[in-house]
Amino acid sequence: MNLKKIILIFFVTFLYFPFVRAVPDKVIFSGCVRDTLTKELLEFATIQLKGKNTFSGLSDKNGNFKFSFVLPGEYVLQVSYLGYVSWQKKIELKSDLFLQIDMTARSNKLKEVVITAAESPGIVSSSKIDRAAMAHLQPTSFADLLELLPGNISQTPNMGVANTITLRETGTLNASGEKSDNPDYSISSLGTLFLVDGAPINGDANMQYIPSGSDSSSPEYKRNITNKGVDMRSISTDDIESVEIVRGIPSAEYGNLTSGLVNIKRIRKSTPFTARFKADEYSKLFSVGKGFAVSGQDLILNIDGGYLDSKVDPRNNLENYKRINASVRSTWNLKKEMWNMGWNSGVDYTGSFDNVKTDPDLSYQKIDKYKSTYNRTAFTNKFSWTFPKVDLIKSIELNSSVSIQSDRLKRTKLMSPQRATVAPTSMEEGVHDGTYLLGQYVADYLSEGKPLNAFLKMKGELEFFLGKVKNSMKAGGEWNYSKNRGRGQVYDISHPIVTSGWTTRPRAYKDIPALQNLSFFLEDNITARMGKHKWETLAGVRSISLVGMSPAYLLQGKVYLDPRINSRWSFPGIRLGNHDLNIDISGGYGLTTKMPTIDYLYPNKWYNDIIQLNYYDVNKPLEYSRINVRTYIKDITNYRLEPSRNRKWEVRSDISYNGNRLSVTYFRERLTSGFRYSSYYMPFEYRKYDASSIDAGSLQGPPALEDISYTDTRKLDGYTQAANGSRLEKEGVEFQFTSQRIRPLRTSVIINGAWFKSTYTNSQPMFETVSEVVDNRPIQEEYVGLYDWNSGRINQQFNTNFMLDTQVPEWGLIFSTSVQCMWFVSTQRMYQNGVPVSYLDVNDGLLHPYTQESAEDMKLQFLVKTYNADSFKKQTVPMAMYVNFKATKQIGKYLKLALFANRILDYLPDYTSNGLRIRRNVNPYFGMELNFSL
Amino acid sequence: MKSKLFFLVIFFILFVSCEEKSDIPHTTVDILIEYPSDLEELSVQYETVKFKNISSGMETEYSNSKQFSLPEGLYDCSYEASVTYLKNGEMTEGKLRGYQASLKVLGTDVKVTLESYLLEDKNDFIIEEIFFTGTLQPSGKQYNGDQYVKIYNNTDHVLYADGVSLMESKFITVTKYDYTPDIMKEAMTVQAIYTIPGNGTDYPVQPGESLIICDTGMDHRVANPNSFDLSRADFEWYDESSVPAHMDIDSPTVPNLDKYYCYTLSFWILHNRGFRAFALARIPEKKEDFLKNYLYTYKYVMVLPAGTFPMEQTAYKVPNEWIIDAVNTSVESRYVWNVTDPSLDSGWTHCGTIDGDKTRYFKSVRRKLLYITRDGRKVLKDTNNSSDDFNTECVPSLIEEQHTATDANGTPAVNITYDGVTPKTE
Repeated sequence: MNLKKIILIFFVTFLYFPFVRAVPDKVIFSGCVRDTLTKELLEFATIQLKGKNTFSGLSDKNGNFKFSFVLPGEYVLQVSYLGYVSWQKKIELKSDLFLQIDMTARSNKLKEVVITAAESPGIVSSSKIDRAAMAHLQPTSFADLLELLPGNISQTPNMGVANTITLRETGTLNASGEKSDNPDYSISSLGTLFLVDGAPINGDANMQYIPSGSDSSSPEYKRNITNKGVDMRSISTDDIESVEIVRGIPSAEYGNLTSGLVNIKRIRKSTPFTARFKADEYSKLFSVGKGFAVSGQDLILNIDGGYLDSKVDPRNNLENYKRINASVRSTWNLKKEMWNMGWNSGVDYTGSFDNVKTDPDLSYQKIDKYKSTYNRTAFTNKFSWTFPKVDLIKSIELNSSVSIQSDRLKRTKLMSPQRATVAPTSMEEGVHDGTYLLGQYVADYLSEGKPLNAFLKMKGELEFFLGKVKNSMKAGGEWNYSKNRGRGQVYDISHPIVTSGWTTRPRAYKDIPALQNLSFFLEDNITARMGKHKWETLAGVRSISLVGMSPAYLLQGKVYLDPRINSRWSFPGIRLGNHDLNIDISGGYGLTTKMPTIDYLYPNKWYNDIIQLNYYDVNKPLEYSRINVRTYIKDITNYRLEPSRNRKWEVRSDISYNGNRLSVTYFRERLTSGFRYSSYYMPFEYRKYDASSIDAGSLQGPPALEDISYTDTRKLDGYTQAANGSRLEKEGVEFQFTSQRIRPLRTSVIINGAWFKSTYTNSQPMFETVSEVVDNRPIQEEYVGLYDWNSGRINQQFNTNFMLDTQVPEWGLIFSTSVQCMWFVSTQRMYQNGVPVSYLDVNDGLLHPYTQESAEDMKLQFLVKTYNADSFKKQTVPMAMYVNFKATKQIGKYLKLALFANRILDYLPDYTSNGLRIRRNVNPYFGMELNFSL
Repeated sequence: MKSKLFFLVIFFILFVSCEEKSDIPHTTVDILIEYPSDLEELSVQYETVKFKNISSGMETEYSNSKQFSLPEGLYDCSYEASVTYLKNGEMTEGKLRGYQASLKVLGTDVKVTLESYLLEDKNDFIIEEIFFTGTLQPSGKQYNGDQYVKIYNNTDHVLYADGVSLMESKFITVTKYDYTPDIMKEAMTVQAIYTIPGNGTDYPVQPGESLIICDTGMDHRVANPNSFDLSRADFEWYDESSVPAHMDIDSPTVPNLDKYYCYTLSFWILHNRGFRAFALARIPEKKEDFLKNYLYTYKYVMVLPAGTFPMEQTAYKVPNEWIIDAVNTSVESRYVWNVTDPSLDSGWTHCGTIDGDKTRYFKSVRRKLLYITRDGRKVLKDTNNSSDDFNTECVPSLIEEQHTATDANGTPAVNITYDGVTPKTE
């Protein structure tokens, strides 16, 4: 693509247009709304033009608005925006007019602000959280903001685990209804796109983990973010102006996602010097920031930084998490009569540091250590050129970003093998000797990842009328590049950090090819008025493909198309009493596609080491013992891997009356190609030496293989391979009600909540082994069952949060009480038939149907997995209610004090589960912060 | 604040009222003994009923009385009787025993029915010692390849070890679930069966001799300087595997047991906190037939603080009449029940008193010495009550003999004893 060409084409059409423009008896009135002081463009300002006819509308994200069919005459223009002094002026319209409207914030006093997530007035279902809501919430990291979404309740920050996002779902639960991490469904968070100032946080090249053998309580397992997208712990909220979380069907402009979109806009305006100190039970946070208006009004420079020091348990100094972030951003705007030009750029640094050590006083494992560091530097640019007064061409936008990461995971462990174990040390296929690991040793492991991500996006916007139907079109393309340049997994294979299940070898990440994602999109936003009805449709299509891969991959160059449509019908206002009742009905349907990550596409080779001879010499164990191993190396890449695709649809209704607003959404999502590692088995041949035929007495060295009797045999062995094997279905109702402020009480009521039903299961039959050993031979070496079952859970939850938001601006006080009710959480294990449909036999490596006869066989009878029928019963955790208080108080001119106490009151009735009475209790979470604004 | 004050007041009232009335109420207990129905012309010579209060440890013994008064509480109740009965047309002397654990004695009257059974001397091997705790590395980490079980010929004639199986119970003594169907009266549920090979006369054991069956028959000091030498053990349970991750060592000097069945893919380790029962059996059926026909599927509801979880599992059942000796192990702080029928073992033994007791390492349970015969053969106590029959927390016999380490610091063993307590005076 040639940028110059495009600009040229736009110019030509631009020059041509004045000649075709009809000169009607109607004029175009347009304008731009912004903040007087900070020059910040104000989105969603309400513009009303009253005169012969009444026109009303909202400003767009660039602060622009436009009324195209205005009869000339005298009008009163009213512009209002929450927290600003309303603006009013008489104007006479004779010809087309463009007006710059500067609005003044109600300063000095704390203004009335929105302290919760607002349901976005746009066509796409999304929640918008702005600075004021964040200030009142007092978050430690981005994860805390999710409390404001429908269906979520406040959570105590857990800085000892990777914080991943789930949208519109219950999350995977264990049998007793508690959240539990399950990597089979990591598509939930992997499929949520995080954008910061238009540039994605790309985690596709993250591979900071320890292969195999890490149990779920180990520090490296809990903090593993591979294939899970973004760890929200690392996102500080202090430089964020607003966040839009798209839960519904996102615009075709955004892709490589399945679930939703988090669109973060950072502060890009002139601000006083601000400093924030937060302290709670677990953490201390400090941040500073300032926005400078440089050289008149065209250039704004924002500089900020922060430091977080947190502990998982306040009593334990040895397990902690630290974060450092710093950012410099420049915003340059040039406004000319015919066009505006903007150039936003930013340099950001985020450092994220996990440390776990074992207390030397409590444990013998003094040496054990875990340290993980994450350093990310990103350079982001956005260039935009808008033409508010020109017909057809509206804007051209170019986004780019480059991020460089340097990650290190260091693990040190004292390994004490139980009896002697063996380290297979060959890097090559074939027969060779292994080494005994006798006695203790210290194992070191390093994973060095250096992901490099680049992103380039170009977008053009057109606007034209077809009759009275307004069309706003967007078209563009996007290219994403991910490459890991790190040294990868570095360790001494003769002293492995895991003595069980070590089926890999060191490998350098820089040898893995880069991943390139290419997308194009086209979208039309159609607005038509039919009498007093208004119909708006956002319809688009997005392509996504992986390019530059080996042709062996099914995915290489294959284009997937995501059609997406959102549509809204606004009925004319119904007069009830003194106000209009406005009703909107909207709906949407769309496909979303997420491409696999580097880890899924380029797995390490699988090393299968089979012991052929295990001779331990009692007399001279170190000199005469011999282990002989046959190593198979298998490429376990799944060349047929496809992307994960989610099908979403929803219907929504918005009702507003006199400043009260209710929005209800019903949605369904179905994803059957979620990524997971599935098990596969196949027979492997090896030579089994009979060590008892060795005459220990006559040995002069390790026994020679030729002298030992043997049998050639085979066994089944398995590996895991990335597959599209997970099914994730989401269904639910989300609702949000916001009342008008009740003046005498200075309070508004916000009610939000959701009912979610989420199904997590497999979408393909599964191989499973049994662990029993019968008659001297493990059953799984001979037979492995294939089960066509649904191994998963159906979870449901229903919650409602009632929030009373009291604001007394003249006292500088905001006080909120949030009553959060989780009416129930239920989980039901899906019925599993434990009888395999077929079994894999080692003798021929083929699947055989599992019959009645097999069920009576001495060994095959073990393949039947038995389940207590009661385990498939639904488990319901009844109501839980928590009360949270938050307050913000302006003290003097410069100081603001805020404090919060979550779950200060609770109502957790006992309940019985299978005849057992269960008592529940929670710990409150509280803290406070000081904000200076100089 | 208000509510806290309220509770304080209530607490105070309760406390004061408790002090005023310090007498613990007593309960009248009626004991009804059910005698074995298959014994003809049974007559009881002498009988005792023993109650042990679980919380206070107070023991009360009653002879020739079936009704008595006890302070309220939880009791373990045991019954012993000397009887005569008709066997093969002759009057024979025998012993009866009955046992019930965790009996609730509450209220004014309690009627207790105690089933009794004839104590049979199986005239076969008994478990002399179980070393299940393992040793510690010099760094303090545990090491467990050196576990062993010693079996002993307590009779006055030669016994053949061929076909004797060593087994570990599936259920644990510290958690009780209602397993359905309940087969404990007929069979023991096991998760590991390892059998001594042989044709019936390959492994004779003289009276007063023992066999050492160990995990790995090597000199463990190569891997852990605090361990000891097992390279001269009689048998080892070798868990053959072609997977490096769970490779066991096959000692060339120690013959392997025949692995009938084991629940785990890696290696079998005796429960090293001592929560299971261990038993010896002679399985009369052919291995293949046994493995095919004796699989036992049971259901239970697992009760955890987080909730209750219905479970279904499988294991092997071994009929009680095949079992020649069984020993339950547990820890005092968590003991709940015995996982074998009381006719096999009506007590339990231990190393350590709490769960995960760090003092348990380097210690074993050893059967008590009754007396030494004129020809120097020791006769060990076997009343099918491990609480009475075993010395607990002893220095293992092999550590005594080899004078190896008795703790992580490597302090060597000095004394040699017959049973962990009675010193050898030579």
